[in-house]
Amino acid sequence: MDFSPVRLDTGQQEFLDEVRSFLAEHVTEDVLEEERRTGSGFNERVHLALGAKGWLMPAWPAERGGAGLDPVRARILELEMRRAGVPSITTGTTNLVVKAVEKYAQPDLAAEVLPAVAAGTVRLCLGYTEPDGGSDIAAAKTRAVRDGDEWVINGSKIFTTGAQNCQYTFLITRTDPELPKHRGLTMFLVPLASKGVEIQAIRTYGGERTNIVYYSDVRISDRYRLGGVNDGWTVLRGPLDEEHGYGRGTGAQIGDVSMGSSFLHTLRRAIDGALVWATTPRDDGSRPIDDRMVRYRLGTVAIHMEAGLATQGPMARVKGSEALVRGAAQLVDLVGPLSLLSEGTPGAEVTGIIDYAHRFAQGTATYGGTVEVFRGIIAQHVLGLPRPNYPGSKVLVSRKRDAGKAA
Amino acid sequence: MDGSELRYADYSLSSDQEAVRDAFHDFFAKQCPAERVREAEPLGFDEALWQQLADMGGASMGLPERAGGDGASIVDLLLVAEEAGAALAPVPFIEHAAASRALAAAPGAPAGLLADAASGGRILGLAMQPADVQARQLVPGGAVARHVVALAGDSLVVVHADEPPALAPNQGSTPLAWWDLAGGVRQEIAEGPGAVALYRRARAEWKVLTAAALVGLTERALWIAVEFAKTRETMGVPIGSLQGVSFPLADVAIGISGARNLVRRAAWMLENEPLRDRHLVPAAFAYAAEVATHGATTSAHMQGGLGFTIEADASLYFLRAKGWSVLAGDPAEDVIAVADALADALAGGR
Repeated sequence: MDFSPVRLDTGQQEFLDEVRSFLAEHVTEDVLEEERRTGSGFNERVHLALGAKGWLMPAWPAERGGAGLDPVRARILELEMRRAGVPSITTGTTNLVVKAVEKYAQPDLAAEVLPAVAAGTVRLCLGYTEPDGGSDIAAAKTRAVRDGDEWVINGSKIFTTGAQNCQYTFLITRTDPELPKHRGLTMFLVPLASKGVEIQAIRTYGGERTNIVYYSDVRISDRYRLGGVNDGWTVLRGPLDEEHGYGRGTGAQIGDVSMGSSFLHTLRRAIDGALVWATTPRDDGSRPIDDRMVRYRLGTVAIHMEAGLATQGPMARVKGSEALVRGAAQLVDLVGPLSLLSEGTPGAEVTGIIDYAHRFAQGTATYGGTVEVFRGIIAQHVLGLPRPNYPGSKVLVSRKRDAGKAA
Repeated sequence: MDGSELRYADYSLSSDQEAVRDAFHDFFAKQCPAERVREAEPLGFDEALWQQLADMGGASMGLPERAGGDGASIVDLLLVAEEAGAALAPVPFIEHAAASRALAAAPGAPAGLLADAASGGRILGLAMQPADVQARQLVPGGAVARHVVALAGDSLVVVHADEPPALAPNQGSTPLAWWDLAGGVRQEIAEGPGAVALYRRARAEWKVLTAAALVGLTERALWIAVEFAKTRETMGVPIGSLQGVSFPLADVAIGISGARNLVRRAAWMLENEPLRDRHLVPAAFAYAAEVATHGATTSAHMQGGLGFTIEADASLYFLRAKGWSVLAGDPAEDVIAVADALADALAGGR
């Protein structure tokens, strides 16, 4: 057990100063305002500037385009980027896919993609969910059919966040509908510039832009295949497990324990806004926080945030999201009509984050696997409860149903 | 709430701490099965078990070496409290530890009493409310203690009775008793701001240890329900495969994960940086209390009507979840204390 401050040596202190001045120069108010307006989760100028520093893949050695940072420097960079509000969604999806590319891409593709990822010129997004598929990723119906040295892809994927700023999508396709559900899948790194790819924007009330991506007779070379044909589930598991928070330990570490920490960072900022609001005197000199009811509400939200940060494993994904969803709603109630005004509105300088947090919160319960998917994971893998027996857990039910209709 | 300060977030136990936890886990597993918990009702005290625990150092480990203890920190003590909580051990480990540590730190502590506390021969209780606010109060451990540490104004006192007052039979079957802290023999052991600080510290330690015990209680209650849900069938399937059963149990697991770690972090900060992040102890206590109420209720309910019967071990856990968590008053006070600490930190710039 250790919660002490990490003592920085001179070199690390200088690194912190360097990071802060870099971020102050590049993450300007304009960048933040643009992100609030577009919700794209990405800023190309900032991204390329980070890439030039080797800070997109900070732990990679310099010869691979990284900065060779030790864990302390990497954590300093991470915390400072978060504090500065660097738009990070596309960086996040890129990082999830990079490991699968390193492990499964054919050498020439890896040699082409990985240095460009480190430089920032190539970004990667997730092509998992289908419009009528929801959380059951393995039920993918987007088809890839082999044609000589090429594959022809037809189908559509929804919630491909960041596609408009990415060069490739990590696409899960069905290559053999006759095999059991998890075995007929193949993964590709599909160039989004390919003919037949159409990206359409979807807006969320969380302020984010995401996309639906249509694939119509998209032809790609076999070099873009990751892993074996019909072995896509193996390839997908690495990034999926990481997204699901497996492998986060309890040992001596300086990283976030909770995989819900990015959600909780938003809640923390909303609490900070509410605290400033609550401690600001009104005309008669009284402050909202003098009221015990106000303190009770604030305390409740803060407790669940701290509890979320302390929660581990798949439990943390549920707790992080639900603490944010409930906490933000409680802070809206607490602050009243002022909390409905968005950041940038006069009078909402301190509390605008609460309006944002409440809207943003709702998506966190769904993306990356819904909280219900995770309750299932906890039930089976943490508690060892028996797996539910659903008709479609092993085979594609709709395919059978379709076949039945045809007959 | 500065989230960008670079700190370690290491919740793991050292090998020494693991050894402590394992030793007490084994002790309670062997010595304190559910039958022994039931036999100790309604008083909630098993004198032989207490003596066995004291023989293992359980009464003295948290005292400084000069007072006959092992100098164990609150972080080490919480490991014992969690194991005692999981077993629902009918021993006043927590009250005794918090009160005797305050006694040992007080300048006017009678040496004889301290030595008897270290041996476990005399049990100490801790008055949870200031005696000048309310002299007659329910004292945890008060039905087995002849000495109660209390705050009266700015004076820390030991109140002595020749015999412990009668048990006030209660939902949690704990040795709760009415004490008149204005009567009896009162001996001042500290005065002034130092006395108030000692009392606050004792209450904070009591809360950390009780929170740890509640975590242990909740986890054991959960596993009882999980075992039931694995084997009990309905409509031809184990009930644990149904989301109506498995999801509520998953929610209990979510609560336990965060509560256990939050208690550890709160204890570590109380031990190492007591002036910082003062919202953590009340936060950990309030959360552990909430998780225990929810967890014990859910675990009993997932066993249906059987979980509502006193034959079911789940009932023992259900009754103690509240029986332990309100002994110091409404946990809502802890929620408010969290906001107070955060507002203070904001005003003080940290």
